[in-house]
Amino acid sequence: MSEHEHVSLADTSLVLSTLEHDQLVSAKREPIPRRRLRGWQLALVWTLRVYLVFMLAVVFWQAWTAVR
Amino acid sequence: MSADAQPGRNLRVMAADDDVVVTHEDIDRAHDRARVSAARLGRGLRARTWLLWLLIGPGILVMLGENDGPSMLSYAATGAKFGIGFFLPFVVLTFGMALVVQEMTVRLGAATHRGHAELIFERFGPFWGWFSMIDLGIGNFLTLITEFIAIRAGLGFFGVPPWAAVLVALAVLFSALLSHRYWTWERVTLAAAAFNLIFIPVALMAHPHWGAVGHAFFTWKPLPGFNRDTVLIILSDIGATVTPWMLFFQQSATVDKGLTTKDIHFGRIDTVLGAGLAAAAALGAIVATAPLFGRMSADNFQAAQFAQALVPLIGRFGAALFALGMVEAGIVAAITISTSSAYAFGEVTQRPHSLNLPMTEGKSFYAVLGLCAVAAAGIVVIPGLPLVFVVLVVNVVAVLAMPPALVFLYLLVNDKEIMEGVPSPGWMNALAAAVVVLLTAAGVLYGVSVVAPNLFAWLGRL
Repeated sequence: MSEHEHVSLADTSLVLSTLEHDQLVSAKREPIPRRRLRGWQLALVWTLRVYLVFMLAVVFWQAWTAVR
Repeated sequence: MSADAQPGRNLRVMAADDDVVVTHEDIDRAHDRARVSAARLGRGLRARTWLLWLLIGPGILVMLGENDGPSMLSYAATGAKFGIGFFLPFVVLTFGMALVVQEMTVRLGAATHRGHAELIFERFGPFWGWFSMIDLGIGNFLTLITEFIAIRAGLGFFGVPPWAAVLVALAVLFSALLSHRYWTWERVTLAAAAFNLIFIPVALMAHPHWGAVGHAFFTWKPLPGFNRDTVLIILSDIGATVTPWMLFFQQSATVDKGLTTKDIHFGRIDTVLGAGLAAAAALGAIVATAPLFGRMSADNFQAAQFAQALVPLIGRFGAALFALGMVEAGIVAAITISTSSAYAFGEVTQRPHSLNLPMTEGKSFYAVLGLCAVAAAGIVVIPGLPLVFVVLVVNVVAVLAMPPALVFLYLLVNDKEIMEGVPSPGWMNALAAAVVVLLTAAGVLYGVSVVAPNLFAWLGRL
């Protein structure tokens, strides 16, 4: 379908009868609210941050060693 | 409802309440879903088979896509190094773990209609969203380079020059995109992925000892010696079976295909089928190279070298099939991995991201997809490329991305606010948690072993 073709009523009806509302592109533009994390979930996410810092340091050290 | 087009945007139609805008992407997806709805009305085996045919795709593609160039080389090295034994059932077990993880992405995609990167961004904030996208992008790009290396090496067996090899791969990748339809792209890629099973006839040509194969599956023996090499190849095989791009790809493809919660059962079948086919191909590669066991060291073999070594054992035709299998593995992975990057980019930047988009509406999506592939292909034809360094960085980046991706997957699939009506059974949660912990530990250990090999040196003395 080129950009200059019109959307037919049949196509529109098909979309609205076949797809769930959440599947529509327009509905997916609506953001989902941020999740409120519980205590253990917050701890898990912070553990991930510490892990990232450690692994990034390892990666940079390895890259530096390889370059030298 | 009004069917009048908006001025200047003829592809858009406003509903009466002005809340709903129908796009080209919606129409294409609706046509696919209409066929599914019609197939659901049918009764009997034929109708169910037709419905299954319509709904399979993401699961098979992700599993056969993960049987990529480096993975098939890893399986070939396993066969050549350890022969028929422990690693046959072990590889099947690793695909079982992949199945547990990938099943969660089917449920998430079908229930939320959002991609993995998008959900991480919105539920856990921009830091983790951008981290996931950037880390995935870097990892995918480096992995793409290794795929083109496999393609170059595989076609090199036939005397094809590197520049022609990467052009062939790019031609297949772009031809799959030409229709701007998810359905067509999926079927073209599935057809290409079917060639992954070429390793099965190659294995049969190796005339394996079926008694030994059966014995290995029932007893997990002979066991490999417990040393550093064995530990590394175990970790490598685990790491080769579940990688970050798989989570992002299957969830995004599930959304793009338009699966809903009604289709989760078929999504599971799709994933099981994919895992079964991929495991069969992986076992084929191990069995095919098992005759090399004890004859030569194949530690640093590339695809063409494996094929050359197999010529005296399975003939020129069998070796050619092996090389073609490597080419196919690289091409399918290049298609799926570059698509995974494009999906993630669109999800995090909130730009249109679908294989149903016409070029005019999906410029950024197709640009990311095409640029990733072209740049990776271009790098591979540069003479004197430090391949070892690239492979090393690929492994480390994958390790870096894996724990966050798995943890967020587990948290998201148990997020009652977005998974309303699709609860996770307790036993499934326990299984998933165990697999997530195991994969994370294996990934981290593998990463440590790559960047600090001396840490494992003591194992070599055992």
